[in-house]
Amino acid sequence: MSDYVVSLLVRIGVEAFVALSAYLLLVIGRISFGQQAFFVIGGYAAGISTALYGAPLPIGIIVGALAAGLAAALFAGAMARAGGIYFAAGSLARGELARVALLSFHHQVPVGADLTGPAGADGFRGIRALFTSGMSVTAYMVAIWGLLALTFLAIALLLRSRWGEAIRMVGEDETAAAAVGVRVGRVAGLTMVGAGALAGMGGGLFAHYATYLEPGHADVMLGVHSLAYAFIGGLGTPLGPIIGVAFDIGLLESFRFLAGYRMIIFGGLVMALLVLRPRGLLDEVTVHRVTRRLAGRRA
Amino acid sequence: MLAIERLSKQFGGVKAVQHVDLDVRQNEILGLIGPNGSGKSTIVNLVTGVFPPTEGRVRFKDGDITGWPPHRVLAAGVGRTFQSIRLFGGLTVWQNLWVAQNAQSEGGRGVLRRWLAVDRASMTKIEATLEFCRLLDKKDELASNLAFGDQRRLELARTLAAEPDLLLLDEPAAGMNAAEIEDLRERLLALKRRGKTIVLIEHHMELVMTVAERVAVLNFGQKIAEGRPAAVQDDERVREAYLGQRR
Repeated sequence: MSDYVVSLLVRIGVEAFVALSAYLLLVIGRISFGQQAFFVIGGYAAGISTALYGAPLPIGIIVGALAAGLAAALFAGAMARAGGIYFAAGSLARGELARVALLSFHHQVPVGADLTGPAGADGFRGIRALFTSGMSVTAYMVAIWGLLALTFLAIALLLRSRWGEAIRMVGEDETAAAAVGVRVGRVAGLTMVGAGALAGMGGGLFAHYATYLEPGHADVMLGVHSLAYAFIGGLGTPLGPIIGVAFDIGLLESFRFLAGYRMIIFGGLVMALLVLRPRGLLDEVTVHRVTRRLAGRRA
Repeated sequence: MLAIERLSKQFGGVKAVQHVDLDVRQNEILGLIGPNGSGKSTIVNLVTGVFPPTEGRVRFKDGDITGWPPHRVLAAGVGRTFQSIRLFGGLTVWQNLWVAQNAQSEGGRGVLRRWLAVDRASMTKIEATLEFCRLLDKKDELASNLAFGDQRRLELARTLAAEPDLLLLDEPAAGMNAAEIEDLRERLLALKRRGKTIVLIEHHMELVMTVAERVAVLNFGQKIAEGRPAAVQDDERVREAYLGQRR
């Protein structure tokens, strides 16, 4: 496999975590422009634990996910009951807050002969745990996709459970959900924490591939794209956002020969899709039809 | 069974409900009527914890449930339907009942199993409820694909799935045709035979007058009459509320 294909697959895999994160929030009826905050928090936390304190790579990824989940819990505590445009605006502010905070975040410690750690606007260099571990980039890419597959399975099973049902009810109508016994605040809050941890996991995985992070990785476009991924792929299944990422990145890459025009073509395609399939390629109705047909064949 | 004492709700300067006292007796069907905007739905929302009252108490089965959140009110045994249909359109008919089912019995043994998978006992109960509401053949349809009358019945089924003792039904006949209303009348009487207590908010007078033992009338957030249907129909203040003052 060429380096280019591997790098593309890593990018798709990593961004799929952020897309799933945004997707989970869409399922509880909230639009977030700020999942990139948890992506960088997870990335920085994972990088700090491996590069500065010598944690092994898998532990670093877990620390990143936990740190992002904790940050999401703090945010959820303040915003769990907010909905609609208020939540969207709050999440946008959160994303920018994370970016600006990282601009002035310095935490460098001597590692070997050098100082390593986040250095404000200069970024965080030397996250080398992947390369010192001797793992090949191809193997790392496969590991990312393995983790993604597990995450997808976990979410798919969750959404089919009564818990998942409660989550979808909160997304459709909070008042009615409360009336059938769903604890709306708790369900929404826990979903936000889970979504934050997922984005954080993506951040940790990315940090160790890139070996370098900077506040610019919390750019708002990542949050906007991760929303678009879910809308392109479809809201009916967690497969939707993953397909959305592959579609988005694959299409953008294959249009490279169009040079400057590719964003125009791409934007047009996204718009056409939103008009023709407002809830994505795999929307709820399609998923329902497919699962019924499969169930019918089994019976 | 349900005792509402001097219940009031103010939205800004609007007094939606003012010092309403209301007693609902075990196993009765109480009609709650009144012109639009008289505070009927507000009372349902106050009792079920959608928002807290400004003043007054709500007691249910000798316990004070004033200001409880909706899930606790439901667990205590008070279920409600909505005036405007509020189903979960992206879920199938039986899935709409799934979460409500077991709402009274959080915790205890087998929680994880009940939360993660559909157990046979739950499914049997769900199917029985759907059968009662004549929806069993539409079990796997998406709720958003149902005809209007079926959607109204699904609202009722969803509330019944939680097995409440007291049902607050907010205009269950709205938009129904004559045959559907006849069917609803039968359902209500059957529920009463099963020991349920029902508060029926309705504009369809013929339905209220034929199923309710007692009727309470609201106007501008205040209770203006209460009693047997025939007596209430002849009440001068009730006639004024609906028809205007006689000149």
